[in-house]
Parts: sequence; structure tokens; C-alpha cells
Amino acid sequence: MSEGDLRQGLREFISHELLMDETAVLDDDQELLLDGTIDSLGATRLVGHIEGTWSIKIPPEDVTVENFRTIATMAGYVERRVVDGSGP
Amino acid sequence: MGMRMVYLLPQLVSDAADHDPDQLAFVCRDSTLTYGELEQRSNALAHALIARGVQRGDRVGVFANKSVETGVAMYGIMAAGGAYVPLDPTSPPSRLAYVIQDCGIHHVIAENRQRPTVTGLEKLGVKLDTVIGLTDADIAYPAMGWDEIGSRGEAPRRRVMEQDLCYVLYTSGSTGVPKGIMHTHRSALSWAYVTASEYSIGDDDILSNYAPIHFDLSTLDFFGGAKGRATVVMIPEEHMKLAASLASVLEQSQITLFYTVPRALVQLSTPGVLDQRDFSSLTRILFGGEPMPLKHLHSLMRKLPGTRFYNVYGPTEVNGVTHYEVPGPPPVDGDALPIGVPYDNVEALVLDEEDDPVPQGEVGELAIRSATAMRGYWGRPDLNKRAFYFRDRFDGIPEVFHRTGDLVHQDRDGVYNFHGRKDRQVKSRGYRVELDEVEAVLVTHIDVVEAAAYGVPTQDGTTEIHAAVTLTRASASTPSTLRTYLAETLPAYAVPTTLTVLEDFPRTATGKIDRRRIAEGNKALSTSGERS
Repeated sequence: MSEGDLRQGLREFISHELLMDETAVLDDDQELLLDGTIDSLGATRLVGHIEGTWSIKIPPEDVTVENFRTIATMAGYVERRVVDGSGP
Repeated sequence: MGMRMVYLLPQLVSDAADHDPDQLAFVCRDSTLTYGELEQRSNALAHALIARGVQRGDRVGVFANKSVETGVAMYGIMAAGGAYVPLDPTSPPSRLAYVIQDCGIHHVIAENRQRPTVTGLEKLGVKLDTVIGLTDADIAYPAMGWDEIGSRGEAPRRRVMEQDLCYVLYTSGSTGVPKGIMHTHRSALSWAYVTASEYSIGDDDILSNYAPIHFDLSTLDFFGGAKGRATVVMIPEEHMKLAASLASVLEQSQITLFYTVPRALVQLSTPGVLDQRDFSSLTRILFGGEPMPLKHLHSLMRKLPGTRFYNVYGPTEVNGVTHYEVPGPPPVDGDALPIGVPYDNVEALVLDEEDDPVPQGEVGELAIRSATAMRGYWGRPDLNKRAFYFRDRFDGIPEVFHRTGDLVHQDRDGVYNFHGRKDRQVKSRGYRVELDEVEAVLVTHIDVVEAAAYGVPTQDGTTEIHAAVTLTRASASTPSTLRTYLAETLPAYAVPTTLTVLEDFPRTATGKIDRRRIAEGNKALSTSGERS
């Protein structure tokens, strides 16, 4: 799985499931927490989705702004966890 | 220097600046502002606002997330003799347009990030004389960038009195139309004195500012903080949404007083979030706005044994009016926390349906007389008529109480206990049910994180009780096991007829559980299999 696939998967979940708008245009570096695209409800759902889709367990201390601020940082985090095997 | 009368909020800033101009007033992300800089920049903004036509009593919008400039905007507007009106950046444009037009706002201070929405307002027919913080090149309105403000640092000479408006906060009304709650320098300054004295806020304190400025919790942070010449660390919006980031801001900023909503404390009590962190500076946690689930408070108090916890009560209309210091980790299945005792200089009455005081121990509506109370609702004579209770005292000169709409009883020790909103009491199958009690019992279940109960009118004119819950990750509970659990404690008529499991709850702009949206969402899902 490439980082491009990861980003695409995240982008689709956020636009289809969180924004309920399949036409939403999301930039990989858009500040999703700051601009309100993801609220705390959205963050909880997103964590659940990532855990289910990529079979990783995200500890609460990893759910930080650094890891979840943009699609790019999320994809980077997931890739580190999946590829490096620094899994649960 | 001789004694100076302090009767306006900006005078708190100039007092702090006189005392120590280099003391930090605001910190937000990588920016800081000292009291000296805050005084200078807010006065310069005031001169610019006056030059652009702002008159005493004018309402000026602040359309921004947290930043040190937001603090400059609030004090600058007040120094110009105006009242600030927060415009929530997460609100839909139609609601912003409503607030701007309802409150007669002609001047707005906006952060650059809100530029697309400001452009959109024009399409909704909103007329503005000036937008400060943006440039003309960005938008169709006459505009003025921060770099054009100038540097006149002395306070404008303008007659402003303590009874003048200083801010108007719009909150959701029960009908869904926002209503503007008007506060004066007198009510806000009184609140600043109450909080600085009750919670011993001083210049060695670092207060958090968790609540956005459209949420009244922010007034304790800003005004109580300024009264104490303390530093206020604004917690950036993005950090409020994630528990681990919130915990790390509190730790790294060495916050000493954290005023927040139960929701944030529930987040922080998630296993793992507070581990291996140092919260030795955090000596006071205040929470309010909603009832606090006891099991989360219990676990948090055990993790933070050196912190004093206070349940602060008061509708936006009166600021805070009572508080209760939690003596120790409460029993998780105990009664809800009391709202406590009135602050000094606050008088409380408990009224029955006929507006007569009830005997001590009985439940009635709480009415408050306090210097911290609002002037009234902006442009709403209908609401103002109902909002106040007049007790005749000196031959036709009444004492004015604000009706809170909250049901309370006073116990034998004089401590007040909360029984929910008057309009949160429903009649189900002929019985009176307090929806808050249904929620409180649900949250005592080990698998339930949060609960929301609401009444659904039925065709035969009665009300059904419905509820929704969010569950812990490890939960094996189902709606039917939860209803069995409820039936062990609640009378049958109070057990919800429908119980839904949700991943998380929608929130209002101020972070409270949005029961209206839950009810609407569940109506749409009424054939879903998750219900019992």
C-alpha cells in the first residue's frame, strides 16, 4: 500500500462519511482540525475508521494535533505504524 | 499615583500595565502579548474604530478563532465605547448574517482565515461599514489591515459608564432562534472581582482560556485573569478536539487554573491520556455548563490529587452565581454534584409556579439577584418580560431577580442542588420525569460514556422518553441490556421507550450535547436496527 493510497482512503472517508459531501475538495495539507472540517466527534470516528481499515490500534496518547492535523500527517502516521510494524 | 476608580473592563488592563507592563497577558500558539502591549494595541484599535464611525454603545463583531489579536479586538472595541459581539467561525453563514443583522452590527474585526466567509456574507445581503483585519483587495467591504491601525497608545477620551454594554453573547434559544444576552461593564467587572477573589487569581497564575469567546466561560478567563494580572494561555481550537493534545498544552503551559466543560474533563479522563505527565502546577479545575458525570470526575480526581475541583453554576444571563468545591473523589453511583452555595453578593430565591418562594427543601425555579446579571435580551421585549422577577421592596421600587429557568432545591445546609431545566421536565404517561435524572442513571453504567435523554411528543398528546448513549470501546452492552439496567433504578414510566447507541454526540457551538440534533437524527433513522 502506497502513501498515495493511504491519503486517498483518508480523503474519501473524510469527505463521504464526515462531511457527507462526495464533491468536497480536500487538500492534503489543509488544516482540518483548525478549520473545523474535523470536530471531536469526527476525530473519534476517524480513529475508529483507521483502526478498522488498516488493522492498527491507536493509543489515546497518539491522537494528537501533530499526527492528525492534515491528511498528509495522518497518512504519515498510519504508514509509520503499518510499515514499521510498530503496531499494537 | 493617586487612587483611580475602576469601573470599566479596559481599566483592568491599564492597571495591570501600570503595575508591570512586561507581565504576559496572552499567549496563543507562538504569539505572546504583554499587558503593556495589550493596552497599547487595544487603544490604537479603539482610535481606528472611532475614526471609522464607531459610537458609544455600538456593537462590533469579532469574527475570529483564538489568537492574541482576538484579545486586542475585545479590549479595543470596549475602549472605543462599544460592545463586542463574538461571531462563531464554525457557525453557518446564515446564522452569522442573522446575528449581524439582529444586533445591528456595522463594523467587524475578522481574522484572515475567515475571508471566504466574509465574502459570502455580502452575497447574503449583509451590509458592513468596515472590516478590520482584512484589506480591501480581499473583499468587497471597506477594509483596514492590522498594519494600518496606527500606534496611538493612550486611551480614547470618551464618556463610557459602567452601565454601558460591553459585550453581547448570542446563545441558541429553545426555539432555535439565537438570542443576544447583553452584559455591561458593571456585570462583567463584578464577575471579574468575584472570580479573582474566590479563586485567588494573582499575577503568578497562568489561566487557560478553553472556551471560545462566543461561550460565556471565556469571561472568567479574560476578565478574572485581567483582574488578577494573570497570564491567559489561549488553547488553540485544534488542540481542544484531541485529548492528548489538550493534556499536553495544559502540561507544557504550566496552567494553574483550568476552567472548562465536563466534556473536556471526560476526554482527559480517558485511560492513558494523563499518564506520565506533570500537572503539579494545576491547582484548580473549574467546570460548568453541564452536569459532570461522576465516574469521570472520580477517576480524574484520583489522578490529580493535588488539584481542587469546583462545580461552577450560572446561566450566561447571570455569569457564575453559585459554586461547589468537590470535597474528594465522589462515589460513582452517588447523587449528582450540588451546584453549591451562592457567591458573596449574590441572592438566590426558589419560586413555585405562582412566583411564591417555596419552603426550604422543595423544588422550584431558581431566581438570582446579582451585580453579575445581564441587562436583558437584545431586541426581545417578549423574552425580557418573562426573564425577570420583581420583588416589591421600597414602596414600588422593585428588586430585580433573573429567572434562571433551572429547577433547584436547597438542602438543610443551605447547599443548592440542581434538578434540570424547567423545560427539561416532561410528563410521560401522566408522570413527571426529569430527563437529566434519566441521563445521570445511564451514565452510572460502566459501559456508558455519555448519555442524552429527550422527550418526543406523540400523536396522542403525551411525551415519550427517548435516549441515546455513547459506549466505551470495550463495551458489550446493547440497548436492551441498558434498558434492563435502567429499570432496576428508575420507575417504569421513566425508562426510555427507545435507546440508541451512537459513536459520539453532535455538539452545539459551545460544546454542549446537542439533544435536538440527536433527536432529529434518530427520527431519520427510525427504522435502523440499533434500536430496541
